[in-house]
Amino acid sequence: MSTDGWLPIGDAVTDRWTVLERDWQSVLIGAAIVALVVLFELQIPW
Amino acid sequence: MNGRRLLPGLLALCLGALLARTLAGALGVNHLLLAIAFGFVAANAVGVPDCLEPGIETHKLWLGTGIVLMGASISLETVLEVGGVVLLLVVGVAATTLLVVELLARNVFGLADRMGSLLAAGASICGVSAVVAVAGSIRAREEQIAYAAATVLLFDAVTIVVYPIVGDLLGLSGMVFGTWAGVSMFSTGPVVAVGFAHSEAAGQWATMTKLSRNALIGVVVLAYASYYARAAGDSRPSVRTLWDEFPKFVLGFLGLAVVASAGVLSSAQLASIENAYNWLFVVAFAGLGTEIRLADLRTTGWTPAVVVLIALLASSALSLAALVLLF
Repeated sequence: MSTDGWLPIGDAVTDRWTVLERDWQSVLIGAAIVALVVLFELQIPW
Repeated sequence: MNGRRLLPGLLALCLGALLARTLAGALGVNHLLLAIAFGFVAANAVGVPDCLEPGIETHKLWLGTGIVLMGASISLETVLEVGGVVLLLVVGVAATTLLVVELLARNVFGLADRMGSLLAAGASICGVSAVVAVAGSIRAREEQIAYAAATVLLFDAVTIVVYPIVGDLLGLSGMVFGTWAGVSMFSTGPVVAVGFAHSEAAGQWATMTKLSRNALIGVVVLAYASYYARAAGDSRPSVRTLWDEFPKFVLGFLGLAVVASAGVLSSAQLASIENAYNWLFVVAFAGLGTEIRLADLRTTGWTPAVVVLIALLASSALSLAALVLLF
C-alpha cells in the first residue's frame, strides 16, 4: 500500500503543531506521557 | 521536514543528559547542575554548530513538559496548608523587587524609563521571558531588550552557583530553600535546577513558588502597557493581554496535581511519571547551559547590573528572613 495518502495528514498535523503555542505543546506532550504510562503501564527507568 | 531538522540537536541534548546522569554519581556532583555545566562548556569552548541549534532550542519545551508532569508529585494538602502564606510572600517580594528596580533605575542611576521597566520585569517576575513580554507591550528598543536580557542571564548564571552554596551553609530545609529560590531568583530553569539540586522537596516548592510568580506576568504586562500607552496618548490595551501572557503549562501542572491527588494513579505509575520529569529536566538543563554565553554576559553594562544586584540582594535577604521566621 502506498504511503503517499498519509503525507497530507502528516503535513496537516505538523502544521497544526507548529502554530501551537509552546506552553500548550508542553501540556500535550505531558498528557501523552501520562496516557502512555496509564494505558500501557509503561515503566520509565531512572 | 521539521523533525529531521530537530533530530541532531535533540540527540545532542539526550547525550548531554545521559553523560550528566552517568558521571554525576562518580564525580559526586548534582546531575542537573552538571548538565548545565556541560551545555555551558560546549557552547563557550567550541560553540554550537548550526545543525544542532534547532533541536537544542527545544529545551524550554522539555522544561515546560517536565513541570507539567511534576504536578503528579505535588501534595495538594501541603500546598493548601501553607500556600496562602507563600502566595502572599510571592506577591510581596515581586512587587518590592519591581518597585526597587524602577526607583533605582529612574531616580538614582538615571537609566531610560523603558530600560528600567525591562529590568524590573525581568528581576521581579520570570527573567528573560518577562523582559521579552514587557518589551513587546512597551515598544522597547532592540538594544534595550538585549541589554536587559543579558543582565538577567548574568544573574541567572551567578545565582545557579551561589544559591546552593548559601543553602548548604545555612542548613536550610527543603521547603524554605525551594520557596526562597522560587521567590527571589529570576528565570524558571535555574530555579528548578537549584531546587532539585538541593532536594526533591526543595525542587517541588521552588517550582510551585516560581509558577505562582510567573502567573503574575499578565498583570505586569498589562500594567506596563497601560502606563506607556497613556503616556503616549494611545488607547489602553485589552484585558485579553492577561490571558495571552499567562503561562499555560501551569494549567497542565494543576490538572495533573488534581488527578494525582484524587488517587487515580498507582504508585508504580507515579514513579514512572517522576522518572519521566527527572529525565526531561536533565535534557532541558543541558540546553539551558548552552544559552549562557560569556560573550553576551560581557556586553552587560555595569549600571543595569548594579541596579539589579541591589534589588536581588534586598529581595533575597528579605524573603529569606521572612521564610526563616515563618517556617
